[in-house]
Amino acid sequence: MVKREVEPLLKKVQKPARYTGGELNSVIKYKENVNLRYAFCFPDNYEIGMSHLGMKILYSLVNEREDCWCERVFAPWPDMEKLMRAENIPLFALESGDCIKDFDIIGFTLQYELSYTNVLNMLDLAGISPLKKDRKDLSPLIVAGGPCVCNAEPMADFIDLFMPGEGEEVTNDLIDLYLKHKIMGSDRLDFLRDAAKIEGIYVPEFYDVEYKNDGTIKEYINKETAPKSVKKRIIKDLNSSYYPDKFVVPYIDVVQDRTVGEVFRGCIRGCRFCQAGFIYRPIREKNTDVIDEQCHKISDATGYDELSLCSLSTSDYTQLEELINNLFEWTLPEKINVALPSLRVDNFSDSLLEKLKQIRRSGLTFAPEAGTQRLRDAINKNVTMDNILNTANKAWSGGWTNLKLYFMMGLPTETMDDIKGIADTAQTVVDLFYKNPDRNKGKSVSVSVSCSSFVPKPFTPFQWEPQDTAESLIEKQKYLLSSTKSKKISISYHQSDASLLEGVLARGDRRLSEVIYKAWQKGAKFDSWDEFFNFDYWKESFDECGLDPAFYANRKREYDEIFPWDVLDYGIRKDFLIDENKKAHKSELTANCRQKCSACGASRLNGGKCDGRSV
Amino acid sequence: MAEVFKWAQEARIFYEKKSMAKYISHLDIMQTFSRAIKRARIPVWYTEGFNPRAFLSFSAPLPLGVESFCETCDIRLTEECDFDILCKILDEALPEDIHIKYIDKPVYKASDIAFSKYEIIFNEIEDNDFLYIINKFKDDEIYITKKVKKGRERLVKLVNIKDNIKSCSPDDENPYTLNIILTSGMQNNVNPISLLKSLTSDMTYDMDKADIIKKETFLENMQIFQ
Repeated sequence: MVKREVEPLLKKVQKPARYTGGELNSVIKYKENVNLRYAFCFPDNYEIGMSHLGMKILYSLVNEREDCWCERVFAPWPDMEKLMRAENIPLFALESGDCIKDFDIIGFTLQYELSYTNVLNMLDLAGISPLKKDRKDLSPLIVAGGPCVCNAEPMADFIDLFMPGEGEEVTNDLIDLYLKHKIMGSDRLDFLRDAAKIEGIYVPEFYDVEYKNDGTIKEYINKETAPKSVKKRIIKDLNSSYYPDKFVVPYIDVVQDRTVGEVFRGCIRGCRFCQAGFIYRPIREKNTDVIDEQCHKISDATGYDELSLCSLSTSDYTQLEELINNLFEWTLPEKINVALPSLRVDNFSDSLLEKLKQIRRSGLTFAPEAGTQRLRDAINKNVTMDNILNTANKAWSGGWTNLKLYFMMGLPTETMDDIKGIADTAQTVVDLFYKNPDRNKGKSVSVSVSCSSFVPKPFTPFQWEPQDTAESLIEKQKYLLSSTKSKKISISYHQSDASLLEGVLARGDRRLSEVIYKAWQKGAKFDSWDEFFNFDYWKESFDECGLDPAFYANRKREYDEIFPWDVLDYGIRKDFLIDENKKAHKSELTANCRQKCSACGASRLNGGKCDGRSV
Repeated sequence: MAEVFKWAQEARIFYEKKSMAKYISHLDIMQTFSRAIKRARIPVWYTEGFNPRAFLSFSAPLPLGVESFCETCDIRLTEECDFDILCKILDEALPEDIHIKYIDKPVYKASDIAFSKYEIIFNEIEDNDFLYIINKFKDDEIYITKKVKKGRERLVKLVNIKDNIKSCSPDDENPYTLNIILTSGMQNNVNPISLLKSLTSDMTYDMDKADIIKKETFLENMQIFQ
């Protein structure tokens, strides 16, 4: 609901429907009838935030409770923010239009490091001090979850508590405890003492950090009620776990605007660069009938004509063909398209490919990640040149004329030969098109190479590795361009300064809070958007704080170094990661979980159970 | 060749775009309707080809920020339906701010629309400012800027649209309210926001404070569009 004073602003901004609320299936309650108001904040714009599955799940989950009202909040686009500040309009939640300052809990999801400044900006826009030391009352309580929480230390000065792991259960635990303390009239600190006792809640201020002279960490000392280390929460059984039966349907085009069925969590692949592949373990699959029913309900409630299956690698779902058969029974007559992102084309069966032909043809993507076999083995991307060629041939024979190839640059052990390998691989794929007798002859071929800069992340075998410097990355980007001859190949890559900052924040410690605060004060926001990212704000802030970004990003760490994220237990054993790191330097492969369990340790979180092992 | 079955019935949906729905663009309204039709399981005819979609045909786009009492959307039904029931189930499937008034057989073609009537409520305006605007309408020439395409170039040019204003009169019942009738349609469409912004360009009054509501559409002979 839009407040009277906000209305005139809407006529002056781009895409006013970002701020109006009132979308189908959004939840309106009487505030007098609830005991707790929850603001679910996504620190990016409406279109990005509304595409996020986790938010849809938790929004509906909290609203299932009669005693709570959960509302959505997104970062206003700078045109709107400017008007809001000029007219003294505080940040409001979309459902009620009320300012979130008076809410009980304000929860952020931290999906990527470059959204951190938006968290500060949103709090400030709501009239709340971003610094937790300024906040003494129980409300509003500022909490955060999401993948970045696996090392949220740089945000420690701003967030009251973090929830590492999956949110479905811990959110309810948190709300229950909050309601208890609200009745008791507790203050913030009373509450946090109790909250720290809940499994999966990390309260950073209950840990003192001591540093060595060289700037690395000497020790984490737990205080108050805080445990020595905090174990992430997981949902043991996805079949019985909460899943929404409707999604809020946006009026405007958002990035992901379709029914989404989640098929499993975790990943069997163990690619050494991939944080998601490790932090979401152990693997837990959902049954086909459950997925089928959930998808059907959401499609009925939204009217979406597209359905997408979501996981880290959908073709690794053991019952994929059966699932697709089940879905087709109703999606074909109801004219709903099924999209399957995250497919590894290397293990496509022919019958599956035949089925996919019935689906509207979108672009095919394939991720070799590295340009040579040696480097692919080092990162444990179990893909051979034969796989790549086979896939390309299948795609060309199947009538596709464009293919998107994903690569990374700046990987550990990488040389210029590996960069040239990227261009060579793309060229081979183009050549195959012309050699293929079954190709679609009416059209020209196009291969787009998307080359991102590798950023070492916590809880991966590369957490010890130095990140490639911006200078080196720029040199490699130039070299890649000069190695690419064909006009059929287009190359895109990332801004290297932004990758450097991402790397600093990803493996940073809590001293970086000050840097983030200063950068935000200087004007940093929407750092993940090229048009707003300004590295100068950050450089100045690092200087003023006497901290060196290279210390965090480009330094080689020793195996015995204590990391800021060692205080969290994500199930994965450090010894396993060390072994994987050593194998990377020898270009040795590790079998995927289905071929052979590597005893990573994650199944401890689920009583020894893991669906990754062959059944 | 045997006659291929296409559709059984055509229907024109008359709907209102109220309150916050005025910020939904024309393209997004189309999407909203096609999803609502799917949710309501209305038996609409789908276009043929590789990417079938529900056939929907809307009257001319309404500018963003303008409410309307008289929008239409034409659909084709694959079986005979009771329009009253159809109206009820479609209204329920749509968000609150889009309201179906009634559904009927289309009488005229959407391209026959020649005029539209708008109500403009000048919120928070001074008396003399309001009078000034009324007098402005009496000028011999009224210019607005229009974006035009010339080859590949996009130009902005000034156009005199005095002849496109059929009438302008203060409302008898509501203060600070004007009723204006402007030409509409593919050829001579006048955007009421551009017109009013241009008329108020030398004033301190912020036109974004005003509410604009499209009330009625007419044919060339001023018969109401049905």
